[in-house]
Amino acid sequence: MQDWISLPLVGFPLISSLLLLAFVSKASESMRNKLSDPIRMACLVFSLVLLGITTGMFFQYFGDVSWEGIGFNQYEYSHRYTWIESLGIHWTVGLDALSFPMVWLTTFLLPVTIIATWNEKNGATYFPIVLAMGGALIGVFVALDLFMFYVFWELTLIPMFFLILMWGGADRKYASQKFFIYTFTASVVMLLGLITLYFFQDPGNPLDYAGSMTGRSFDIPTITQHALAENSNGNWYLGANIQKVLFAMLMLGFLVKLPAVPFHTWLPDAHVQAPTGGSMLLAGVMLKMGAYGMFRLPISLFPHALEYFQLALMIIGMVSLVWGAIVCLGQTNLKKMVAYSSVSHMGVILIGIATMQPMGWAAALFMMFAHGIISPMLFAVCGAFKHHYHSMEIGAMRGMAKHSPWIATSMMFAWMASLGLPLLAGFVAELMMFIALWYFIDANGWSVFWMVGPALVLAVTAAYYLWSMQRTIFEGGDETQPPASLHGEPVPDLASPEKLAMLILAAFTILFGVMPWIGLDMMHDWTKQIFDGLILPILGDFNGGI
Amino acid sequence: MSNLTEIEPFGKGFVEAMGPELILFAGMLLLIIVPNLGQGTFRVPGTQLRLQWLLGGKRFELTSDPRLPAWLATLTLGGAFFNVLYTFSQGLDRVAIVSESGKQLLLINGFSRIFELIFFGALALAAFSSMNRLPVNGVGSKVSETELFNNRRQADFYILMVTCALGMSVVALAQDLFVLFIGLELASFSTYVLVAFLKESKVGVESGMKYFIVGSVASGVGLYGLSMLYLWAGSLQFDVLATAFATTSSTEMALPLIGIGFVLVGFGFKVSAAPFHFAAPDAYAGATSPVAGVLATASKAMGMIGLVRMLLIVAAPETGDGSAIWLACLGVLAAVTMTWGNLAALGSDNPKRMLAYSSVAHAGYMLAALTAVGAWNWDAAVSGDAGAAAVAVLTAVIFHLLVLVAFKLGAFLVLSILESEGDVSRLSSLGGLAKREPLLAVSMFIFMISLAGVPPMAGFLSKLLVIMGIVRVAVGDMGAELADGGIYALGDMHWVWWLALLMVLNSAISMFYYLRVGVVMFFDEPEEGREGPLPTGWQVRAAIFACVLTTLFIGVAGDAVLRLCEMAAQSLNYDW
Repeated sequence: MQDWISLPLVGFPLISSLLLLAFVSKASESMRNKLSDPIRMACLVFSLVLLGITTGMFFQYFGDVSWEGIGFNQYEYSHRYTWIESLGIHWTVGLDALSFPMVWLTTFLLPVTIIATWNEKNGATYFPIVLAMGGALIGVFVALDLFMFYVFWELTLIPMFFLILMWGGADRKYASQKFFIYTFTASVVMLLGLITLYFFQDPGNPLDYAGSMTGRSFDIPTITQHALAENSNGNWYLGANIQKVLFAMLMLGFLVKLPAVPFHTWLPDAHVQAPTGGSMLLAGVMLKMGAYGMFRLPISLFPHALEYFQLALMIIGMVSLVWGAIVCLGQTNLKKMVAYSSVSHMGVILIGIATMQPMGWAAALFMMFAHGIISPMLFAVCGAFKHHYHSMEIGAMRGMAKHSPWIATSMMFAWMASLGLPLLAGFVAELMMFIALWYFIDANGWSVFWMVGPALVLAVTAAYYLWSMQRTIFEGGDETQPPASLHGEPVPDLASPEKLAMLILAAFTILFGVMPWIGLDMMHDWTKQIFDGLILPILGDFNGGI
Repeated sequence: MSNLTEIEPFGKGFVEAMGPELILFAGMLLLIIVPNLGQGTFRVPGTQLRLQWLLGGKRFELTSDPRLPAWLATLTLGGAFFNVLYTFSQGLDRVAIVSESGKQLLLINGFSRIFELIFFGALALAAFSSMNRLPVNGVGSKVSETELFNNRRQADFYILMVTCALGMSVVALAQDLFVLFIGLELASFSTYVLVAFLKESKVGVESGMKYFIVGSVASGVGLYGLSMLYLWAGSLQFDVLATAFATTSSTEMALPLIGIGFVLVGFGFKVSAAPFHFAAPDAYAGATSPVAGVLATASKAMGMIGLVRMLLIVAAPETGDGSAIWLACLGVLAAVTMTWGNLAALGSDNPKRMLAYSSVAHAGYMLAALTAVGAWNWDAAVSGDAGAAAVAVLTAVIFHLLVLVAFKLGAFLVLSILESEGDVSRLSSLGGLAKREPLLAVSMFIFMISLAGVPPMAGFLSKLLVIMGIVRVAVGDMGAELADGGIYALGDMHWVWWLALLMVLNSAISMFYYLRVGVVMFFDEPEEGREGPLPTGWQVRAAIFACVLTTLFIGVAGDAVLRLCEMAAQSLNYDW
């Protein structure tokens, strides 16, 4: 079994993009334009190689792995390499049902992003940065070492900062800084939480992979194992107060990244100003880092605190869900509306987590995955819209169905997928979340009014999506009105690379809508395992567990 | 562990032990003599006989090369640097230079040697990259601020750099407060002149004067404190002072405490800790960029040695309750320094002033780390987690000072290139750097995010180490006691934990102004008159890229450097 396979997954895109950038930076202006085509091709090939590797991993081409039935705190393809020995820092990688779908999703989105933004300006630097972004994101998901996790967590900021700053919209200067500082602030608080956690480990108890200077370990499997043993004894790992504080500090970092209301304000700015490729990766994968981190650290380590903060999380999730949807109704900027719809969908994930049900968690995991395919399509449509019409205003033109059928079709499909049309991927996740929530409310005797918000949001979501389509695609009958920003030029439709990207995204949205079990089985197995191992022992006769 | 060898000045083994200092001394003599070599003749009195004696007169072509002093200084400082590295690779001997009466004057161990690495490294880079700051064809008709260094003044500039290095290395080696002050003054006077070296520019002289006046007041206060300590203990040896401090009853503490407080003012000025930092931004802004870089790295490390020796050796944490008498005071200073530095940096548009204030903020981080050491009983520490915690914090401080040379000096060197085409007193002078020379812009961006502490740069590792050290002290043995069933609240941690929180929040604040530099470089258009290519000069670029590579390399694989720093930290207190 090729255990080291995660190493090239992270290292290859990072190193190759750095080399490409170093090469390009020495070239002259005209040379750079000439280089644009071969570099784009190289980046596409590299990302396809990555996709090939992860797909091969799924089909067990690289060895006999069992994605289904993978246990809590068990990892496939795990590999450990000493990094900074004196502090107990290792290059520890491994994949489980939580991280593998995210890794696959990242490698899937990389080539799609490159195809969808085929004609981006300054391609010679743009495509390597997209590739570097992919490498950093994969690093976050495969890392099983707190230090390594944090390093990649922050590393993702740098390429995204440049994507927004160099290729973004008019207000990109403000948006890129806000994005960087906002998330950086939350992550340094998270960092302090991680370090405090690190030093609360008992150095007297022999720890695996401990640092020679500190006697403590950054190793996530080791810490998880200790926490699991302690928690299931009925004790709070690290003690009740400390556990709550650490849970809150870690969650702050993840909630900002997710983002959840009231920490969401960086997202609309970043999305509206980001270039299409940046938005696709930001919404598709980067937001999921927050939910991924929640499962990997606070939930796995501090289940008691999760129960303590359950109500708070539920409220934050509900508010995100409802607030995001309501704000969408008032948007006239297409991309801003889509950005707020992301906030709303991230609320679904948070509610799924707060139910503390295996099915709710599986819903959250599947939502991460499904939204990771749908939202890039939403932003690809927005990008095409902007690219071809030079405007993002809803209602700036009418009768798109008439003059640009490809954009109109893609938009309609993406919008429908996002609002949760059955047989498309988003529906599965939302349905599961509803079932889990119903079950949870019923079993724990919570008020039925908790269902009002989510039910309302279904209607509101349908309303803002359908309304925006009506105002752009259909209205006007035969009297099509091209946007004024075109200044009378002929109305363009999607270019062929964009068409290809839309088709790929649509195909996979349908695939995972019709056959959700491809990913869902392993997710649900995993959440069931983590629930049995983690939640049941601490809660005793806890009402629930579907 | 290695045994202490005691040798007398100029005794057996002296040359080996004092290798770097002797190299510096020889280099200084060469710098004085070589640029003056020429076809000078000497008339024998009473005769018409003229003897050629090579000094003065028309200079030889080689000795009149304006780049010669720079090369000499670079080779001298670089030679001293590699000599220190060589002694490390050979397994360092502990050597003390003792006076005739048997008192230790200088002590050569891991702690002093690693600081010498910092000093010589920073000064060698600064000297090397100053080489381009001169007109190759002599001063022309158009004399701008940056074309001032003609040949003779070149030599002065570099001699001062070498004397500065010599003074700093004496500070690192000193085992006697008086010897330490001599070294400090030697280095300080060199830096006063270096800051004021641009005497044709108004701001240069003003800042030099300001720096000199404030610096001498701080030194004077320090010397006054020194005299009080002498009055109290009858000696200025560190070990004598430490013993006296430990045995003095608390009712008789007033005199030594006031003395120590005054001495700390002198060092506080050097590390630019609030409220003694006011001269720093002016000095940095007025000095040439490489000199400002030296002030922010080597000079700061020198002050930090003084702080460490005074706080951790002389006024060591007591054996009783384990916390030092200065704990609360230093904690407040640290909090004020880091917050003040960051808030002031937010509002400054001058990149050099911004870097100066960021330097103040970094001083605050290191003071916070020293505070954490004071929270523990440093003696009992020889065994157990507590002692390891103290060593870890000190390791973090040394590591931070070491890597600061790479990314702080590097940032000043980038400014130095821009400075040679004109004023860099506004942030907008960095505008469009990404278009003019992409690699320089990327380097500057790496320096900025390293200063802010973003992984995977060296600055992240150093900041992580400082935070880890503080948290480790704050948590203490709670982890072990937890395992025995103890239950804790946040308040049971030592309050220095809140300094760590303040530190991470300050990092977030600092992100605003570091990122702004990146935005200006990559987003804004070049200023008027700066559209063309940048001034050439491979030396300064080579120095910058060396800094970038070091920043990245230590950030990604810093284990060896970390162990070196740990060894140095251990050798401060234990008989290593």
